[in-house]
Amino acid sequence: MEDNKEKVGSDAILSLANNLRWDLGVNLHDTVIESIYEDASRIARKAVNKEGDPATYSLEQRIDQLVTSRWLGFPLMFLLLALVFWLTVAGANVPSGLLADLLVDTFHPMLKNAASSLGAPWWLSGVLIDGAYLSMAWVISVMLPPMAIFFPLFTLLEDLGYLPRVAFNMDSLFRKAGAHGKQALTLSMGFGCNAAGVIAARVIDSPRERLIAIITNNFSLCNGRWPTQILIASIFIGGAAPSYLAGVISAGAVVGIAVLGIGFSLAVSWGLSQTVLKGEASAFSLELPPYRPPRIWQALYTSLIDRTVFVLWRAVVFAIPAGIVIWVVANIEINSLSLAGHFIHWANPFALIFGLNGVILLAYIIAIPANEIVIPTVLMLTVVSAGMSGVGEGTGVMFELESVQDTAGILQAGGWTLLTGINLMLFSLLHNPCSTTIYTIYKETKSLKWTAVATFLPIVLGFAVCFFVTQFWRLLAG
Amino acid sequence: MMLSIQPAFALTTGLLVLLFLGLLFWPQKGLFAIWSVGKVNTQRVLLEDALKFLFDSEYKGIPIRLNGFAGYLHISTDKATRLVESLRAMGLVQSKEDLLKLTDAGRSYALRIIRVHRIWERYLADETGVANKEWHGKADLQEHRMSLEAADMLAAQIGNPVFDPHGDPIPSSRGELPAFTGKPLSALKEGELARIVHIEDEPGAIYAQILALGLYPGMQIYIMDVSDDRIQFAANGEECVLTPLFASNITVESLAEREPLKEKFAPLSTLRLGESAEIKGISPSCRGQQRRRLMDLGVVPGALIRAAFASATGDPVAYQVMGATVAIRKSQADLIFIKPVLTPN
Amino acid sequence: MNTSHNCENCPVHHREHLIRLGIAMDRVDYIVALAGNPNTGKSTVFNNLTGLRQHTGNWPGKTVARAEGGFSYREKRYKVVDLPGTYSLLSTSTDEEVARDFILFGRPDVTVIVVDATRLERNLNLTLQILEITDRAVLCLNLMDEARRHGMEIDARTLSRELGIPVIPAAARQKEGMDELIAAIEEVASGTFVCKPHRTTSRSAKINHAVQMLSDKLSRQFPGLPNLNWVALRLLEGDQSIIHALQSGELEKLGAPVEQP
Repeated sequence: MEDNKEKVGSDAILSLANNLRWDLGVNLHDTVIESIYEDASRIARKAVNKEGDPATYSLEQRIDQLVTSRWLGFPLMFLLLALVFWLTVAGANVPSGLLADLLVDTFHPMLKNAASSLGAPWWLSGVLIDGAYLSMAWVISVMLPPMAIFFPLFTLLEDLGYLPRVAFNMDSLFRKAGAHGKQALTLSMGFGCNAAGVIAARVIDSPRERLIAIITNNFSLCNGRWPTQILIASIFIGGAAPSYLAGVISAGAVVGIAVLGIGFSLAVSWGLSQTVLKGEASAFSLELPPYRPPRIWQALYTSLIDRTVFVLWRAVVFAIPAGIVIWVVANIEINSLSLAGHFIHWANPFALIFGLNGVILLAYIIAIPANEIVIPTVLMLTVVSAGMSGVGEGTGVMFELESVQDTAGILQAGGWTLLTGINLMLFSLLHNPCSTTIYTIYKETKSLKWTAVATFLPIVLGFAVCFFVTQFWRLLAG
Repeated sequence: MMLSIQPAFALTTGLLVLLFLGLLFWPQKGLFAIWSVGKVNTQRVLLEDALKFLFDSEYKGIPIRLNGFAGYLHISTDKATRLVESLRAMGLVQSKEDLLKLTDAGRSYALRIIRVHRIWERYLADETGVANKEWHGKADLQEHRMSLEAADMLAAQIGNPVFDPHGDPIPSSRGELPAFTGKPLSALKEGELARIVHIEDEPGAIYAQILALGLYPGMQIYIMDVSDDRIQFAANGEECVLTPLFASNITVESLAEREPLKEKFAPLSTLRLGESAEIKGISPSCRGQQRRRLMDLGVVPGALIRAAFASATGDPVAYQVMGATVAIRKSQADLIFIKPVLTPN
Repeated sequence: MNTSHNCENCPVHHREHLIRLGIAMDRVDYIVALAGNPNTGKSTVFNNLTGLRQHTGNWPGKTVARAEGGFSYREKRYKVVDLPGTYSLLSTSTDEEVARDFILFGRPDVTVIVVDATRLERNLNLTLQILEITDRAVLCLNLMDEARRHGMEIDARTLSRELGIPVIPAAARQKEGMDELIAAIEEVASGTFVCKPHRTTSRSAKINHAVQMLSDKLSRQFPGLPNLNWVALRLLEGDQSIIHALQSGELEKLGAPVEQP
């Protein structure tokens, strides 16, 4: 009874409110905001005794005019971003090598020895050490150094106030694709790590543009895919060019793939905003904050904790079960052929239509946790399926080789051609995001639908592009 | 390994598959889109349109006869008679001689449909990138499909609007609607001051032309001259001329007190770099979140704004307002009205 | 992103009466909400109060998850909740809803509003909106160093008188004004300083009349509600979470006296 009475009361209140709203007309929200501002400016006028001296803003204005100028704006931006990428790539080489030496070349044999001296059965040490441990070690040694360099640098640029100016300059390009200028930032962030790029899309407060940025982030060639691109380009594209041009041409091919990725990113953004995302809310707002000296220690600390360790942890969590799966498919045999062998034979005819092969398809399926382990997996599977002996670390163990020549040898023995190389590069750009990124997309959008779109759209595109490239190639090559 | 498929054959097949998918899923023109439009039961649509029309006429106090009914719905008198017959059988309509009247049940049915329609229009206007000419058509489809509960949920998401983007009141979920107070613009006399409360969106051709004049609900107009074949009035400082036919599609409410007429204001996009201006208002076609965001950033009437610098491509431009630097795209700056102030030097 | 980590590393400073608790908050006496526009140094203030190292960039929407921390002062323990940086509480974005709902339904004992002294007018927009909701607030006039560098002079006393709450000039990066801020928080929390928050008056007669009619009804239904006019205005704007609170009876609880945790 008591409850009932109250319900009547609130209904009456809501009904009264509704009637009053019709009286108040369409502009109520505006007038409410305007009256608040009216009070705000009255109070501000009373409290501010002296306005800021315009002369003290002149330095800031001069910097702004410089970084947004018609002629210097873009070159300056490319220079700075290139510097960040160069520092990342160049700076990560040495620590990556050290980590690999330590985790893969030193600890791995040590663990194996310890296991055999303890008398652990082969399958147990295989699953745990060759599978789980090794894939984790790989992910850490390849992923950690570049991220630990890239993220702090990016955070410093952000703290400084420069990144909003990049969004400001790039907005007209992204606007034409139906996106927000801040997508330039999530896109650049994606070159470091797609999962971080997806998280960075939080800075876009308009729902439609944010979804676009999230879904297209995978077209930024991430850190984990650069080594694949560089290796394959130098083997197949550099190998096909005269030797004095090999370096330049293969580097050009990798940059070309990255630029193609940006192109796809913009094209897909445009397509999405014109079709499925037409019905999402859209609003553009971008404040250009004053330049402030960055807090270096804080930037370092938080970009390491919030971004690097966070992303790395997610990757490791996914890499461990994947390592187990990789080991199992390569080592468990049915009818004296490994599971991997069965799949590769079954998938080969299908894969060849797309200019790929069964090994590549299987590698991309089981290496979903991290693009970093694609090449080791491809090498291992090639060796397993071609029945080679005397290379690598033993059957069913992922490996990489010091020498590009030896790697090329294995791949060519596995039936790879220039066309396979090109297609692998395209497919490496255009395939599903890694599981860390997929999970992050789900966390950020809280929508299975958009996660599925972000996952499958690139694969479909990848297969389509590989298909047409392959068939044209074969048509022209006769 | 031998490849068994000819590349020419593979390419042709691939292209055919692409074409086929395009045919199926092309937005608006694809088979899938056409199929989902055609899914709506046409008999129900007719019935609901009839109720809507009857309600609208009743609301505006226009009596409805069978003839006008058939004409409005574009059906033959025969068909209209049958339609009325079935409406009466369902207890939704009463008729005295050939005058049609809604029953209470019919009225509440009509209000439900109108509620869905207007909420959906408001949603499209405020929350999506759908162009204003498409609002009505899309809402017409939705009103026959969407349940009242779903409409209530949508309304809750967009802040329980009480007006649709044309300025019409949205019936409440309990079926309340305020009394009709407006009159057509064509009924105004010289020297009268009024505010547009509604622009009829049917027929579409007339609606498009009215929109092209830049008229919108909430706008103040001042009648300058009325003759038999034209009505001349000032709106937002601009002179407009309409024929009485067009003017009858605009509903206005008279303003008792005479407020000072607004002068004509320039858009913010015309402000040159380094110059300052006072913000006079934001056009109502800047709606929903976009409008609220701009106001949050300090773009409110009365504030001073200065064009500081342009981006490397010239658009957007950074403006200084209330001490902060805010980037505004040209398409937004076109919708912000200013009055330039003379700055020393 | 998760920021509740590394409490072992938190520097525990011992200033007079002040102990930064990081995230160790098993028993708290007062809850302090931290609100403000983006780019006002809100997270620096948060870090200074709690000793944590929350980082947010130059963007709105960075702090999607609420960050929490604590400090102890004069034997009372305070929990500080860092709300997302927003320009307004009326534009219905997720960030704004989080911030608004916490100030309204979380009923913090004190809301600290961090404003950028060099952009006072625009920041006051949010400040006034917050003062409509709560009557226990402290204004932290941050970035005074920048204001001084630009030759600005702001009279904190006038501002305090106009707003009806304590106003503390500060430069959080230089840790300037933090002791005064904590003292002001304590005064408001303990009731030593009674706020008389500014409520917007310059609305049209038509709106005021509607608000009055509605708040009369509300006051009969929910006696003791501290911000009747604001609730009435929100209803007039069709605010779904207020409508929901009204229907579910949550609004009624807001009128009841706060029980000490």
